[in-house]
Amino acid sequence: MSMLAGLRVLEIADGMTDVGGRMLAELGADVAVVLPETQANRTRRLAWHHGKTIISPDDPDAIRALAAKADVVLDGQREGDRFGLGEAVSDDTIYIRVSPFSTNGPYAGRPATDLTLFALSGLMHVTGDPKRLPLKFPGQQAYALTGIHAATAALLGLQARRRTGKGQKADLSAFQSAVLSNYREALMYEWTGRTGRRHGNLLVRGKSGVRQVWPCKDGYVTWSMIDNPSMMRAVVSVLEEKGAAGELSQIDWDNTLVADTPQETIERWQAILADFFASHSREELGAWSLKTGWGLSVIYSPQDVRGSEHLKARGLFVEVVDEETGVTASVPGPLFHSAVMDAPRRTLSRPVPASGFAGWEG
Amino acid sequence: MGALDGLKIADFSWVGAGPRATKDLADNGATVIKIESRKRLDLGRMSPPFAGNPKDVDGSAFFAQTNTSKKSVTINLSDPRGIEIARRLVAWADVVVENFGAGFMERIGLGYQALKEIKPNIILASVSVAGRTGPMAGFRGYGNSAAAHSGHAWLTGEAGSPPQMPPLAYGDVVAPMFLTVAILAALEHRAQTGEGQHIDVSQIEPMVHVIADLYAQDEVEKTGNDDGDFILHGVFPARGEDQWIAIVIENDRQAEALKRELGIASLDREAISTATSAQDKFSLFDRLAAAGVPAGPVLDGKNVLENPELAAAGHFVKLDHPVMGASNMPAPPYVLHGTPGKVERAPCLGEHNREVFIDMLGLDANHIETLIAEGSLA
Repeated sequence: MSMLAGLRVLEIADGMTDVGGRMLAELGADVAVVLPETQANRTRRLAWHHGKTIISPDDPDAIRALAAKADVVLDGQREGDRFGLGEAVSDDTIYIRVSPFSTNGPYAGRPATDLTLFALSGLMHVTGDPKRLPLKFPGQQAYALTGIHAATAALLGLQARRRTGKGQKADLSAFQSAVLSNYREALMYEWTGRTGRRHGNLLVRGKSGVRQVWPCKDGYVTWSMIDNPSMMRAVVSVLEEKGAAGELSQIDWDNTLVADTPQETIERWQAILADFFASHSREELGAWSLKTGWGLSVIYSPQDVRGSEHLKARGLFVEVVDEETGVTASVPGPLFHSAVMDAPRRTLSRPVPASGFAGWEG
Repeated sequence: MGALDGLKIADFSWVGAGPRATKDLADNGATVIKIESRKRLDLGRMSPPFAGNPKDVDGSAFFAQTNTSKKSVTINLSDPRGIEIARRLVAWADVVVENFGAGFMERIGLGYQALKEIKPNIILASVSVAGRTGPMAGFRGYGNSAAAHSGHAWLTGEAGSPPQMPPLAYGDVVAPMFLTVAILAALEHRAQTGEGQHIDVSQIEPMVHVIADLYAQDEVEKTGNDDGDFILHGVFPARGEDQWIAIVIENDRQAEALKRELGIASLDREAISTATSAQDKFSLFDRLAAAGVPAGPVLDGKNVLENPELAAAGHFVKLDHPVMGASNMPAPPYVLHGTPGKVERAPCLGEHNREVFIDMLGLDANHIETLIAEGSLA
């Protein structure tokens, strides 16, 4: 069986709950979703809404009736409650109202999208090159973070209901969800008075900055010269084996604090490493890292990720069929590994009119 | 009352990927016993910023914000007498959480099979960079490894630019969120069936999941800040050094409102930039919001800490800490109105040894004092 077998979830989607509804569906919940009037492109719909029953809202009364029958309502409407869900849910329902901002604060009711929320998170300010525009993360991360918290809040409500026998209402702020992911910037300002800046791919700690991204023979790898003596010794021992260690062999890593080393010295050391990385392939460097614990990672393109033998062995990607078009796509399926999970439906369903939906009868 | 009142967690996890999940549980009422050791300090306790002396194991603000509402005990897991006490905690717990390297829990006799013998319906929740199975199962990495292995680093930035690493260990943010969901789902499953289970969360896989919309495309391309689903989707300069505002246009109504507010004839990016660069990012945010245009000033750390919306929402809770003094700690982004939970300060190292071992587990006080004195509980 599945972990959430028998759980009925009504999701009113508009970006902020999409990932949360998808997680609950992947875990076996019976998720009925109403999509926004202006729908996202089909690939986005397939990624976030496969495994759910798509409901077309032909009759607001029928939507309210579903809300009354649901164990969980994820209400992610960004522009007000078009169905009157607040009054429709029962005392047993866990009603998660997701809004861009708090319900009563100074930003309450302001329009927002993933990008504007991510800008407010404090993460964009420190992402990218110092001489260029601040960058967002790929995809829609403010929405994704909010969606995961929506699933969390729903499951917390479920645990509480098991104990109290009662449903409850909850409010979730997408702005706070995005800010919570930024564990560095506000904290650093509070304790050091410094505000972070964009450093490109330089990792700045203490008095110096070290590189994070290195070209290699056939792509890029990420690795940093950080204060981890056993890791540094593991790297240098391979360089020594290949006759490429130079002055790195002479350094007592146990008594060297990279963060306090002058930048010009770091640049000299990094030049040795840059030559070494540039003359070896991703496969060679990745294998050394796995074998001897360098902490180096190959930077994968999306194509590499899809082709990863590791992820294939873990069964991450699954084929999903769009029932309306017959088109298939390969997208991530299982959220994690567990012996007790059955695979859910791998289809993007044809919409069912709310007035004719009989899935939750009885 | 918290949603998870009565739930018992034995938390062996450290640094970021495990502790952020157990913070979620603790802030919502679960009793989370954080098992630490002076012999092998949680690296989080040595992570900046610090309140005063960096060598004070109770002075890391990083640790404090990651471990709110928990209790700390010290157990030397390389000592058989310490392991015996750890087994007593497992027998007490509903859930065990760990993020050690592959095989460590088995080596100390606390692998899943051993835990099941102690408590048949135990839930073991493990999080690691690449998961516990597959060719990379033993991979030693850090939070940003998942950004490299998931496509995030490759996909960040403008088309044609080299990879861009995230400015923090984003895998250490997303994976624990998945871990929290996994633990709560496993609790629901146990409530229905009586069965426990071993949950295996990889940091790479959640990072792939959160960009599933990109993987659903036939050809995934880097688009910088752009998004083809929108009429306008970008970041524009505002008045002052390194000041910016994000603006998004989803429909014609918003497009007309933006043109009106900025006094421009079209949505040409240069025209928008010229208009926005003379304006304060916060004032422009107010004006555009009032006109129905989605916008967001690009906030820095100071802006976030001092933000009036976050203050009104209670995002940061001011808590008194014996070493750090009054400090801001992040609260959950949701309020469960029936079971709101409560954020409490992070524990000092081993602060709850006697409370947990003697009062909670009912172990002999003299025996515990001996084990503390001899380093088994250190």
